[in-house]
Amino acid sequence: MAELRNVIVFTIGGVRYAVELRWVREVVSLGFVTAVPTAPTALGGVCNLHGTILPVLDVAAVLGQAPGPPARQGDGALVLETEGVVCALRVDQVDHVASLHESGGAIVDAGGRPLTLLDPGMIVRRALEMITTVGTAEPQA
Amino acid sequence: MSDGELDFDADELAMLRQLFRDEAKDALETVTTRVLAGGSAKPTPDALTEMMRVTHTLKGAAGTVGLNTMVDLSHRLESALASFGREPSPWTPATADLLVEVTDALRAYLDVATEPTGDAVADTIRDRIDQIARPNRRPMSLPPPFVEPPPEPVIEPALDGAPVPETKAWLRVEPERIDELMSSAGELLFDRTRIERRVQLLRTLARDLARTRQNLHDALDTPDVPSRAALGEAESELAGQAALLSQTTAALLDEIEALRRTIGELQKSLTRIRMGPARDLMTHAARTLRALRRATGARVELRTIGEETEFDKAVAEQLVDPITQLLRNAVAHGVEPPEERAAKGKPATATVTIRARQDGNLLVLEVSDDGRGIDTAALRERLVSTGQWSAARAELANDPEILDALLGSGVSVRDDADELAGRGIGIGLVRQTVSRLGGEVKVSSMPGRGTTFSLRLPLSTALAQAMLFKVGGQVYAIPNVHVIDTTLVDALATTASVRHEQLPVLRLDALLGHSSAADRRPGVVVSFAGKSLVCTVDKIIGPREIIIKPLGPLLAPLTLYAGATISGSGKIQLILDPAQLVRRAYPDAPDAAISDAGSAPMVLAGRALVIDDSRAIREAMTSMLGREGWIVDVAEDGARALQMTRQLRYDLIVTDLEMPELGGFDLIVHLRKDERFKTTPIVIITSRANPEHRRRARDLGVLALVAKPITRRKLLEALATR
Repeated sequence: MAELRNVIVFTIGGVRYAVELRWVREVVSLGFVTAVPTAPTALGGVCNLHGTILPVLDVAAVLGQAPGPPARQGDGALVLETEGVVCALRVDQVDHVASLHESGGAIVDAGGRPLTLLDPGMIVRRALEMITTVGTAEPQA
Repeated sequence: MSDGELDFDADELAMLRQLFRDEAKDALETVTTRVLAGGSAKPTPDALTEMMRVTHTLKGAAGTVGLNTMVDLSHRLESALASFGREPSPWTPATADLLVEVTDALRAYLDVATEPTGDAVADTIRDRIDQIARPNRRPMSLPPPFVEPPPEPVIEPALDGAPVPETKAWLRVEPERIDELMSSAGELLFDRTRIERRVQLLRTLARDLARTRQNLHDALDTPDVPSRAALGEAESELAGQAALLSQTTAALLDEIEALRRTIGELQKSLTRIRMGPARDLMTHAARTLRALRRATGARVELRTIGEETEFDKAVAEQLVDPITQLLRNAVAHGVEPPEERAAKGKPATATVTIRARQDGNLLVLEVSDDGRGIDTAALRERLVSTGQWSAARAELANDPEILDALLGSGVSVRDDADELAGRGIGIGLVRQTVSRLGGEVKVSSMPGRGTTFSLRLPLSTALAQAMLFKVGGQVYAIPNVHVIDTTLVDALATTASVRHEQLPVLRLDALLGHSSAADRRPGVVVSFAGKSLVCTVDKIIGPREIIIKPLGPLLAPLTLYAGATISGSGKIQLILDPAQLVRRAYPDAPDAAISDAGSAPMVLAGRALVIDDSRAIREAMTSMLGREGWIVDVAEDGARALQMTRQLRYDLIVTDLEMPELGGFDLIVHLRKDERFKTTPIVIITSRANPEHRRRARDLGVLALVAKPITRRKLLEALATR
C-alpha cells in the first residue's frame, strides 16, 4: 500500500483505528440505546436513527477482544454502510481525516504513528456471524 | 408478440399492463433521480449498479406482460448503463441530459406502447439510446423533444408536480380517498371555530362572574346590613350566569364529541388511503397458477373468494411471495393426479381456493386445496428420521403440532418432493414473512380431503395493536393478535391457571437477563399456533397502537424478536416473537403436563358450511367455529349452499331456516338425499322454534335446533351432542 487517502481516524478504549471515509455515512451522537437481551456483546444495543433501527456494534468485541464500555446515549458513533447493512461503531473520540502509509510492515498515519485499519465488510460479516450463532441457537429449556 | 400468445384474458392483461406501467414509471424515475443527483458527472459505481438493476427488472416485467419493444428498449438502456462502468467510459458531460431525456421519453412511451403511434416513438428512443452508448457518432446539438408529453394521468393527482428528491415506493391513491381526507380536514376547521367561540363565551362569563363577586363583596363590606335589593340583584345575576355556564359546558361537550368523530373519520380515511382490494393479489395468484399448470401439466383450477376485501397495499406486496409459495406447494404436494382423484370419486380437476376476508381487525387469507391432505404419520416419521425431532417429542405431539412443524422448518410432506415447491423450505419462509408483518400462519388438513393454510394478518402494517409491558426497565411489545389475556402469577410458579387451563409460565425477566424479586407478578397470556403460555413481566403498560419497524439484516438472526417500534419519545422498543416464546415454553423435553396443554384449541375439527342470509351471523359463526378448529365456508342461502355441497363434502352444516331462494328445511331434505350427506351433523339456527319445527328437524335427523341469538356456549352444547 503506497498511500491511502481519506480515512477517518478514531479512538476506542485508547486504541486508534481507521476506516476509509467512503464507508462512513455519518458521524452521530447516539440517542437512547435500547439493550437487546440474548444478543452477543458485539451488539451493544439498538438506536433510533432517523426512524430506522440502527444496530450499535462494539468493535473490540467483534474483533474477539474484551468488550468496551456499554454504548450510552450521547456517545459518539460512526454510521457505516456496507454489504447492505447500516450499523454504527461506538467510538470514544473521532480524531481527524487523514492519509495512511505503510511503514516497516505497519500502517501509520502522516505522523508515523501506527493504527489499525478496519475493513467494515469484515466487521459486519463477523458481527453477523456472532449474532447468527447466538440468535438461532436452540432455546434453553 | 400478439396478445393471443399470452396466457391472460383481455381484462387481466389490461390490468397487468396498468400495473407494469406504474411500476416501470417508478423504475425510470429512479434512473432519472440517480442521474440528476450526480449533476453532469458520471454516476458512482453504486448508482450505476442501482440503475442497471431497476432497468433489468423493467426488462423482465415487460416480457411478462408481452411488451416486447419495451423489453428491447430496456435491454439497450441496460447495456448503455453497463458501458459507462467500463474503461474507456463513453460518458461525456452531455450524457446526463441525454439519459434524463431518454428516461422521460420512455415514461411517455409507456402510455402509447400498445397504440399505433408507439412504434415510431420506440424507433426514435432506440436511436437515442444507441447514441448515448456511442457518443462520438451523435450530433452535438439536441433535437427538440420527440414525444408529446402524455395527458395528465387521472389516477395520481397527489403525485404530480410535487418535488421528489429521492424515488422510493410510491403509494397510488384513488382521488375519492383524497377527497374524503380533504372533507374531514375542512370539518376539523369548522369544529375548531365552534369550540373557539364557546371558549370566548366562557371567558366573558368568567369576567361577569368576577364582577358579580365584586358587587357582592362591596355589598357585604358596608358597615350596615347589606340591602336586600343589592343581594337580590347579585343573586339573580349569579343565577343567569350559572345557567349560561351549564349551557355552554353542554354545548362545548357536544362540540368536542363532534371533533372526536371528525378525527375518527380522518383516521379512517387515512387508513383507507393505504388500502386496496385483494383483487390484484388474486390476479397475481391466477397468473402464478397458470405458469405452474404449464410447467407441470397439473389439472388445477383456481377459485377466488373475497376479491373486494380491502387491505394494506404494502401488506399485499409482501404477500405475493408467500402466496406463490403456497400455490406451488398445493400443486406439488397438495393435489393428486387426475387418475388418483377419479379413483377416490373426486372431480378430476383439483381446485385451489384463495379466500380473503376481514375478521375484526384482522385480514384472513386462506389458501386451500381439495387434495390428499397432509399425512401426519409420514410427517412425524420424517421429523424423526431427519433428526429434527426426538422420537419422544414426536410421540407426544398431537396432529396440530405436527402440522405446525411444517411451517417451522425445512421438512417436506412428501418424500419425492420435487424442486417445484422447494422441499418445504419455502413454507417456513411463509411463516417468517407473515410473522414479520405481525401476523400468524395456521395449517389444517384432513386426510383425503385437503389442506388449508390460513394467514392471519393485521389489517395494516403501519399501525398494529400491541400489548406493551416492562421488563428490567425496558419496554417490550407483543402483537395483540397473540395476546389473549393478562393475569397475576406467583413468583415461583411454573404453571398458572388461566380460564380453567394450566399453562406453562415463561419468566421473561430471566429470558431477558434481569431477575426480579416480586412475589406476585403480572403475566401476559400469549397464544400462538394453538399453544398458550403466561409470560411474567415487571409491569403491564397496556395495549397501544404501534408502528412495526423491521430489524434489518444484521439483527434478523435474533429470532426472539419480530421487529421493533419507536416510542413517542424516540426510544426503540423490541417486539417479541410469540412463536419463539411458545417454543421456549414448550421445549423438546417430554413432559406430561405440557402435552396435556396441547388439547386446548386448534385441534382440527373438520370443514363446516354455515348458511344464513345475514352477513353478520355468517361472520360471527365463522369466527366462533374457527376458534373451535373448524374450516368454515359460508353461503347466503340454501341454493348457493347446495351448489357448494356438490363440490365439497362438509362435516358439519349449520343453517338458518328462513332464507331467500331455498329455505333451511328444503336444503336439508335435498342434502339427506345425497349419499355423502346422509348422516352429516346438521344444526339449525333460528329465531323461531315451534313444536312443528322441532318435529320436522327430528325427522330429518337434525342434531340440534339452536335459538338465536347464538352464543358460543349454545353452539358448543349443540356440537357436544354429536
